[in-house]
This record gives sequence, structure tokens and C-alpha cells, in this order.
Amino acid sequence: MDAILGALNLIADPYVILLICLSSAFGLFVGAMPGLTATMATALLVPVTFFMPPLPAMAVIVTTSCMAIFAGDIPGALLRIPGTPASAAYTNEAYAMTVKGQAETALGAGVVFSAIGGIFGTAVLATSAPLLAEVAIKFSSFEYFWLVCLGLTCAVFIALDDPVKGMIALFIGLGVALIGLENPAGLPRFTFGVTDLMSGIDMIPAMIGMFAIAEALRIVAAATTRLPPARAISGSIFRGQWQLTRKYPVQILRGSTIGTLIGALPGAGADIASWITYATAKRFSKEPEKFGTGHPEGIVESGAANNAAVSGAWIPALVFGIPGDSITAIVIGVLYLKNIIPGPMVFVNQPALVTGIFALFFLANLILIPFGWLAIKSARHILAVPREILMPIVLLFCIVGAFAVTNSPFAIGVMLVFGLIGFLMEEHGFPVAPVILGIILGPMLEQNFVTSMIKSDGSFFGFFNRPIAAFLGVVTLAVWGAMLWRGLRAIRAPQPV
Amino acid sequence: MKFHDSVCGAALFALAVFIFAYALTIPPMPGQQYGADVFPRLVAIGLGSFSLMLVWRGWKYSPKDTPWAAVAPWARDPHTRGNFIIAFVLTIGYVLLDETVGFIPLGIAILMILFVRQGVPWRKGALIAVIMVVMTQILFGQMLRVPLPRGVLTGWW
Repeated sequence: MDAILGALNLIADPYVILLICLSSAFGLFVGAMPGLTATMATALLVPVTFFMPPLPAMAVIVTTSCMAIFAGDIPGALLRIPGTPASAAYTNEAYAMTVKGQAETALGAGVVFSAIGGIFGTAVLATSAPLLAEVAIKFSSFEYFWLVCLGLTCAVFIALDDPVKGMIALFIGLGVALIGLENPAGLPRFTFGVTDLMSGIDMIPAMIGMFAIAEALRIVAAATTRLPPARAISGSIFRGQWQLTRKYPVQILRGSTIGTLIGALPGAGADIASWITYATAKRFSKEPEKFGTGHPEGIVESGAANNAAVSGAWIPALVFGIPGDSITAIVIGVLYLKNIIPGPMVFVNQPALVTGIFALFFLANLILIPFGWLAIKSARHILAVPREILMPIVLLFCIVGAFAVTNSPFAIGVMLVFGLIGFLMEEHGFPVAPVILGIILGPMLEQNFVTSMIKSDGSFFGFFNRPIAAFLGVVTLAVWGAMLWRGLRAIRAPQPV
Repeated sequence: MKFHDSVCGAALFALAVFIFAYALTIPPMPGQQYGADVFPRLVAIGLGSFSLMLVWRGWKYSPKDTPWAAVAPWARDPHTRGNFIIAFVLTIGYVLLDETVGFIPLGIAILMILFVRQGVPWRKGALIAVIMVVMTQILFGQMLRVPLPRGVLTGWW
């Protein structure tokens, strides 16, 4: 109870409220701008969060991500260009509704069911995370080793179409994590005499590079940067939403549940949740023939799912320190910078922060409705902001943001190198998110592996001696077996280069 | 430049070999069987295995007319190629010159060049560049106390 009161007290601070309002506007703007993603928005905010206490920093990230994921629906419905990948699944459907003169209903469904999905995901986060933390507090290095393995493999196995390239990306990330002194012997590894590499590759410049610089370079290299003009929204976006709620309660519940579960799986975020739930909406629909013609059913289910996934992704991040998606990967980086190690002990040592995060999610999803309404009404003006002006400014913010991490130009170099690596990887069909997972989880994996091997005197049976470790080990090995089987099947299919 | 999957796989396999070879040079931890060399070896084996899989898959299953290396569409157009190179070179230039020249002049120059390059009229570009850089200096340099280098403007405030 004290934690709840403490958290509410922290959130009621005018400074936090002002930050929530500013980050709402920022998240809505970035999410609505095609080419700028929710992850990029979060990465750009990291340098600003350095200078904030933990809860306001979390307020900024939570609000921005919730708003940005919804705002991706706006250009999807008006221009047939998804603002973020999380809206791509139902962009054609929403645009078809706009063509039929139902843009208000499509956008209204986006905002209302995003909020409902987000609140559902938050309720699951707030109830399940503390219970999981109670179990996780008893974990030793053996359990953590399997959990990290499971998290890393799930990220590749579930989230990606091409597991071979996904695994390579993951090993590249683990390779980057080898650099520096942070290893069992404290020896400099892969530093080549460069002092700046002794402390390893800082994950924040690497993430800014991979998620923001790579994207900025892609847009700078694109032939056209101008967007077509969007139509103005004049009618009420809330008209008809109650009827949709009454007509599709099962879809709302299913979308929210699947979205939360997918969000909780390491590496799989709002975009995957959105695609899967659009497919389930169509699969179980009584009117599947209407999909693609401007039918709101898929928007209702997917819209709820992608925002539910945003909160779901915080479950493994807070409880185990394993990111659920790329946004929570950044969150973990921010928490480390504030000397807060995500994991079960956060629930013991920082109860007000944890409760505050839950409360922030509830608040962000509630204010999504008025802020979303405002964004939809001003969509025409937001989409008129020229991207040829925006992208150079993004580049400048990235430079300043990377510099602010260590106050050294070396971090800008790291950012640029990772931006180029991210750009080249995407050009060649390699996903970048597993690289970041590898960088974050690499030290944790090595530490738990070596500690466990020393504890068990070099015997691998030690990894199966404790019941939970044995269970996690069997599950992990089963996933690896399934992955191998899938890989062998996929390898026979011709792959586009 | 866009490379064939087999070429990418071969390059990554070479990287795996390098990591493994480097791991062999890491001294063992005294009295312990598992030291700082174990994890790099495992990473190298994993990266090498999947890289070889990519080489084999690309060689066996890619369409026969797939070139080993092809110029990406954006790199064929001189304008977009120029945009990419300029953005990249300007950032490197910032890293090299920030202490000497300082954030404000370099930031304005970077924004101006990129704006003009992207077709923004230069007067409008200059105005936006100055406003953005000054705002960034105030936000980060003054309010958040990030020591953005002052360079040639040292002593002005």
C-alpha cells in the first residue's frame, strides 16, 4: 500500500505530469511520421532521460512508446503508409475504410481499442510481474542461464522469418558483448589497445546507431521524402465505437490477450502481435470475405494487440532483465545507467518505481484517448511537416545524444559504426533487433554460464539438477530442436537474396 | 553494394575464424577450467556454423542468375548516393573536428549542407539550422549540462 501511495505521489508531481504531456506529443508526432518508429522515438529520448530521476525517465519512455504505437495508425488510414511497423498489418484495411468515407471510424477504432488493449496489457503486467518476481528471486545462475538462452532463442525462433540470418545477427551481438574487461577473468578482450574499448561497447550509442542512424540513413538515401497531402478529419471519431465494442468483445479480448503474451516473449513486439492477431481475426471471423474491403474487425483486434504488447514486453524486462522487445531493450539500458539492475530484486529494493511504472502505463493508456483525438484532428498538419527537414535534425540529435552518454566523441563513432552496420544488415535481410539482444544479454549469459560451470565442477548435468532449471533446460532444448527442424526444412526452400 | 548470401556468409565465417583465433590467445584463468576464453570460442563456433549454413544455402538455393555483388538501387542514383555519403562523411567530420571547431558552427554547417542537399531553400535551411542548433545548445549544453564542445566560440559565454 505504501508503495502504491508512494508511486501515486511521484506521478502526481507537476514535473512528471509536464513530462508526460510533452512525451505524449513527441510520441504521437514521431509515431505518425512514416519512417520514424516507436523504437527510434525511444532511442532519441535516451539522452534526455540521463538527467532525470528514474521514475520521470520511465514516464517519458512509457508514454512515448504507447502514443507512438497508436499514432502509426494515422498515416496508415489516411495515406496508406503505416507510421510504424506495428500498424502495417491493418493499413490496407484502414485505408479501404477511408476510401469508403469511414476514416473517422477507422481512426477512432485505432485510438479506442489501442487504449483498451494497453490497459488490459497493463493489468496483466501489474498482476503477473510481482508474482513472477517472487519465483525469480529464488533463481540461481543455472536458471538464469537457461532463461537467457530461452529468451535469445525465442527472439530468433518466433519473431523472424529467416532463423539463419536471425541467429547470425544474435551471434554478432554476442560477439560485440565480448569486447572489454567485463569477463570472468577481467582481462581486456578484443580491445586492440584502445582505451575507450576497455569498458566495452556502450549499448546506448549502439542502439541509437542501429535504431535511429540506420533509419535516418535509409530515409536520406531514399529517392523521395515528401508525403502526399492527407485529408482533414472533420467528423467525430468516437461515433460508432460503442457499437464496435458490443459487436466484437471476443476480438478485443483475444487481441489483448495474444498481444500481451507475444509482447512478453523476448524479442517479439507490437508488430508481430499486430500481424498475428490480424490473421486470427480473419481466421475466426464470421465474415472473412469482408477483410480487405474496409472492415473494422481486424483493426479492432490488431489495434488492441499492438498496444497490449507494449506493456507485455515489460514483464520479462522488469522480472528477469530480459527485454521483451526493442523498446524494453532501451529501457534496460536506461535502468543500468541509473544503477538499477532490472530483475526480481527491483521489486524488493524499488517497489515505488515498479508500482509507478504500472501506474504510468494505466495513465498513458487513459490519456491516449484525448491525446489521440487531438493528434487525429491535427493529422493533416503533422503529416505536412517536411521529412527533408526532419531527418537532418534527427541526425543532429543522434550525435548530441551519443555524445551525452560519455561526453566523448568516441561514442559518436560507436553510434556511426553501428548505424552503418544496421543499415548494411537490413540491406542484406539481416534483422537488427537480435544484435541488440545479444549485446544486452551477452554478459549475463557468459557470467551465468561460467559461474554455473565452476559451481558444477565442469559438469553439464549441474544445469539440470534443480527442478526449475531442469524444466527451463528441457523447454530450451525442445525449442532448439524445433528450431533445427524448422531450419532444415527452410533451408530447402529457395531464399531471395 | 548488395552481396550474395554466400558472400555474406563467407565474410561472417572469416569473422568467426578471427574470433576463435583471438580466443586462443587469451590466457586461462589460474586454477579454473573456464576462463575468459570459453565464451568467445562458443560465440565463434555458433557464428561460424550459421555462416557456413548461409554460404551453403545461398550457393545451393539462390536463383542461378543472382550476382555475387550488385549495386543497390539507391546507390545507382547519384543524388541518393550523394545524400548517403554526405550524411556519413559529415558525421565523421563532426567526430574529428568537434573539439577544434565546436558544436555550434559544426552543427549549423551539418544541418545547412543536409537541408540544401535535400532541396530545402538555403535561406530557410540556414534559419532552421541556426534555430535548431541554438535550441539544442540551450537544452543540452545549458539546461542538461552536457559539455558540448565550444571550439572556436570558447570564451564567448
